[in-house]
Amino acid sequence: MLFFSYFKDLVGREVTVELKNDLAIRGTLHSVDQYLNIKLENTRVVDQEKYPHLLSVRNCFIRGSVVRYVQLPPEGVDIELLHDATRREARDG
Amino acid sequence: MVMGLRRFTERIGEGAGEPILDADNGEELMHVQPGVAIVLGNRAPESVGTLYITTKQVVWLSDVEKERGYAVNFLSVSLHAVSRDPEAYPSPCIYTQIETEDDDDEDSEGSDSECNTLDLSKITEMRLVPSDPSQLDSLFNIFCECAELNPDPNEEIEEEHNWIFSADQMEDDNAATDGVDDSECLLSENPANPIGYSNGNHDLARTVLELQINDQRFEDAEEMDRDTNGGH
Repeated sequence: MLFFSYFKDLVGREVTVELKNDLAIRGTLHSVDQYLNIKLENTRVVDQEKYPHLLSVRNCFIRGSVVRYVQLPPEGVDIELLHDATRREARDG
Repeated sequence: MVMGLRRFTERIGEGAGEPILDADNGEELMHVQPGVAIVLGNRAPESVGTLYITTKQVVWLSDVEKERGYAVNFLSVSLHAVSRDPEAYPSPCIYTQIETEDDDDEDSEGSDSECNTLDLSKITEMRLVPSDPSQLDSLFNIFCECAELNPDPNEEIEEEHNWIFSADQMEDDNAATDGVDDSECLLSENPANPIGYSNGNHDLARTVLELQINDQRFEDAEEMDRDTNGGH
């Protein structure tokens, strides 16, 4: 549940979600669920020339299983905290 | 289950009836939206039809042609969004991306707008255009709800990770599966599984751990001179 908790804390921040099909979408993290399904607001596509259809959609829902990366704002990342939490989570299961 | 869009023709009754669902497996109808046109890929809109959103899939049935209908399982819907930007598409709609079996042909829409042969399995984008745009937000929310009902089956199985982080844990976990005495475990190295090579059956972490043993043979000469009285 680590990343679920972690992403919940990032709600309201700008993130870029890169999907497994290479599409990258930037937006404000609106919510996330236990399957890491992601809802973004004020979304815009990172590479607009390649994906014109998604020019600007206000809200979007991204299925957790198709996410490759979630790019985080540097100020939203406490690396030490994340390391410790990850180690603990993996150890304790 | 078929990934991607497929034809759907199973309707109740004779007329433009409701889709036949898999009630035995718990599939239920969540929402019905009449007056919806469907746009597959870059093709022209097909209108008019009725949208049926179930707990498992999205079904669109043409009101005009009883044989025409399409469905896609929520497991295949990668993303959905409300599209109101006229530059993206002239009419406000629900935009969805569909994950197909074969992801190599992203750009080929699988259909020639000239001829009628349509390969549904290659459709990666689908728009649903309601005649009443004020319904878009509630449609979006229902899509969200139903998507959440359909997590990947694999995700639910991940109860045990079987990751190893300490020698103590190793003794507990491997005693039963290995059949090898614990004391032998630490000192022997299986020649069939050399260092750093995992053949899929062998636990790589265990191989690495075996290298970190405090064996006097690996100690520096200086340390041993200084540490003659120290216990290990």
